[in-house]
Amino acid sequence: MKKSSIIGLIIIAVSIGVIISVYADSSTYGDFNDAKASETECYVSGNLDLQKSMVYNPQVDANYFSFYMKDKGGKVCKVVFFGTKPQDFEKSENIVLTGKMVGDEFHASKMLMKCPSKYNKDQVEVKATSAT
Amino acid sequence: MDTVFIGEQLLPGKLGQFFVVLSFGTALLATLAYYFDSIKDQNDGSWRKIARFAFALNFLAVIGIGSSLFYIIYNHLFEYHYAWAHSSRSLPVYYIISSFWEGQEGSFWLWTFWQSILGLVLLFRAKSWESPVMTVVMLSQVFLASMLLGVEILGIRVGSSPFILLREAMDAPVFSRPDYLSLIADGNGLNPLLQNYWMVIHPPTLFMGFAAMIIPFAFAIAGLWQKRYEDWIKVALPWSLFAVMVLGAGIIMGSFWAYEALNFGGFWAWDPVENASLIPWLTLIAAVHVMLAYKNSGQAYFTSVFLALISFVLVLYASFLTRSGILGEASVHSFTDLGMFWQLYLYIAAFKLIAIGLIWARWKSLPFSKKEEETYSREFWLFIGAVILVLACLQILATTSIPVFNRIFGTEIAPPTEVVAHYNKWQINFAIITAIISGFTQYLKYKKSEPTQFYRQVLRALLISAIATVLTGYVCGIYTNVGYMLLTFAALFSVIANMHILYEAIKGKWKLAGSALAHVGFGLLLIGAMVAAATNKVISINTSGIGFGDAFAKDNNPRENIILYENEPVTMDQYTVTYLGDSTSGPNTYYRVNYKVIDQKTGQTTEEFDLYPNAQQNAKMRQIIASPDTRHYLWKDIYTHVSSVPLKEEKEHEAHEGHTDEEDYGKPVVYQVKPGDSIRVRDAIIRVKSVNRQAKIQNIPLSKGDLSVALNLEVLAGKKTYQVEPAFLIKGNNSYDFGKTIDELGMKLRFTNILPKEDKLELSIYQKPKAEKNWIVMKAIMFPYINLFWAGAIIMTIGFLLSIFRRNKELKIN
Repeated sequence: MKKSSIIGLIIIAVSIGVIISVYADSSTYGDFNDAKASETECYVSGNLDLQKSMVYNPQVDANYFSFYMKDKGGKVCKVVFFGTKPQDFEKSENIVLTGKMVGDEFHASKMLMKCPSKYNKDQVEVKATSAT
Repeated sequence: MDTVFIGEQLLPGKLGQFFVVLSFGTALLATLAYYFDSIKDQNDGSWRKIARFAFALNFLAVIGIGSSLFYIIYNHLFEYHYAWAHSSRSLPVYYIISSFWEGQEGSFWLWTFWQSILGLVLLFRAKSWESPVMTVVMLSQVFLASMLLGVEILGIRVGSSPFILLREAMDAPVFSRPDYLSLIADGNGLNPLLQNYWMVIHPPTLFMGFAAMIIPFAFAIAGLWQKRYEDWIKVALPWSLFAVMVLGAGIIMGSFWAYEALNFGGFWAWDPVENASLIPWLTLIAAVHVMLAYKNSGQAYFTSVFLALISFVLVLYASFLTRSGILGEASVHSFTDLGMFWQLYLYIAAFKLIAIGLIWARWKSLPFSKKEEETYSREFWLFIGAVILVLACLQILATTSIPVFNRIFGTEIAPPTEVVAHYNKWQINFAIITAIISGFTQYLKYKKSEPTQFYRQVLRALLISAIATVLTGYVCGIYTNVGYMLLTFAALFSVIANMHILYEAIKGKWKLAGSALAHVGFGLLLIGAMVAAATNKVISINTSGIGFGDAFAKDNNPRENIILYENEPVTMDQYTVTYLGDSTSGPNTYYRVNYKVIDQKTGQTTEEFDLYPNAQQNAKMRQIIASPDTRHYLWKDIYTHVSSVPLKEEKEHEAHEGHTDEEDYGKPVVYQVKPGDSIRVRDAIIRVKSVNRQAKIQNIPLSKGDLSVALNLEVLAGKKTYQVEPAFLIKGNNSYDFGKTIDELGMKLRFTNILPKEDKLELSIYQKPKAEKNWIVMKAIMFPYINLFWAGAIIMTIGFLLSIFRRNKELKIN
């Protein structure tokens, strides 16, 4: 066999490996029911439920933050994040969690928040002046 | 509707917009003129004269756009959307420069600007290549200029102009007032994370690298087009090295910025935006290697052309990923979507089609080599090295492009949840193979080498690296992981083999120094990155708080954040860490954290330093944006950032009516004591020394039958001792008590009763809850050997620079 054919074959083999790996490692976007069914790490996005309590007490445990999130299907579930509470958390419009269900709690390892950021808001802040 | 608005300065914007249109027009003219000159439409050089004139005008127009925009931002003309959106009055000048390129428009301008500068250099240096090469460069300039146009053509908005007015960009009732401008107090300001000195120079460097990538592309195209199949490689080589050097420096600066200013605790996160600029860098490095192989042996011609072309197409793909909004939720830091999806797509498509079309047309006449490479030849392994780099890119590209696949196929696949592990498990293998090849190929000659001599030299280098690997593995504590050890071995082998070449270079073969140095740098960079990423250790492990058992803590709760109360030392690793208070400077609050190393035996402080991690407190937005502070040692870094702090506004609550002193304290703990007793409270010991029966209470004269008694207390807290005397008074039929407070301890002591039956005295101890004390929650990470990573990057850049000189010199000789 010519050397170039061997190289070609190796390239094809690695490419197939890459594609399989992307497929195998890739995850899914789902809701709490999917997460419960799959029992593996996945992404769940939804909105913060402000009706229910949010717990972050650094004096007791600086690495425990819990809140309730409503997923796209409307299901509300308790979420535990083992880290600090992001300070602007209440303002986040949409949260993407990475993690898995443990019993009835969703244990998040990562959180990504979409905030109505100061930097792309479409509101002009107007100086308070008396009417002229 | 002809409202006359008061106070608007419209001239700079109109001028700027004129320059935008001028730059588009002149770029188009230059492209056409260079094209006609290339195909020899006229032989008197008249097309070239027109082209150069158009280029000169284009150059001035680009400078004009930049000057107008800078004038607007610098003078805080908030009637312009760009100035309002990206700057504010409080920004210092150097950050005004960074706000210039915070937005898409500014960074596109940066790209055109560098392309103009590089065009100018080509104008003087490219000689016979000028017309075909500049045709390609100016075509790219046309596309970039169109991104800034911001005009509607046939109902489609083309580009986004930085000179659009605020009242045109937004719809708000305030704009119906002629004096609206006087109501706009300030701009939105620059994202605090970008307020870092690296952000002043990282974007210009990165975009200079992107802009330089077009030159190898343009030479490859020109070579195919003009049928000068072989000449282009020699001329394009120094330019390719230049692009690789600048883009590499730009990427490393970005990585250093992430390490210094962001608090994800690392220098590389395999974020799509990072990957997007890494991919073309790697393909162009591969291109440089096969171009060398072709230059010296006549092999790998097509690979050289292909890699030079694909690298620029991948640059365009990178800007498409970061600017089109396609990444969506996949990345935290892509640009905001300006609705230029199709325009960006067209840019890639055009350059891709030109490349494919020309290869297609010239396929039959390309100088393919008939014979196979020798196994014992340098060109063969240069080629294999390039293939490995391309495969590494393929893997990064495949995962980074998941959002693109979703868009094409309508699927909803999410990126891997453990993204870093996913990339690392692939890239570590590619890195090992690349490093090994970059080591032994140094001992091979072009065309054919003598195997025996080759093996002898390689074996010697392998032996030395094996010993060095064992030592490194032991010192860095990575010997338990096979992958890490293999990478260390491979990288050390590359370093040692190239050091050998460097030694030869110093003895006289100076021209070898560049490549040897670049490879040594690359090897060190690999070791530094791997060791720092693999062995970095969070030292702020929280040992207090609710315990769930070690197993649980390990799996689920890494407890990586620790709470520090003001002036209360906590032991972390070898350090005694104390939070000493905060200070405010501008929008930043700096938290002073003191680190001490105390010798266990002697109790002496052997080392002491303060770190000032900071947070921008934005009371209005109720958020903090934290930036770390790092103590740099030669062999390790101590990296510290605050993860949660009390918001400033919450601490200052005013005294109001009906608010008693007691409210600040928690419920009292009541003790029955007698002299000689001692009581242990939260962070102090209280000793009851004696009872003072002749206590005098200020301003209260005692009459007969009154009783005044005081408790003589000694409070020990840490190294301090406080003496207090709370008193108890019976006057007439009433009893009073006069408590004493110790503000520093947040403690109040009251002598509340005398219990004659028990022969005891009643002492009530009040303590402020801990929350009232100042606290921060912080995280500290130790990064061992991270300086190897930075040093490797710097050495590599110097190596590239020397190589540019060498290849440039070779051009002149020929």
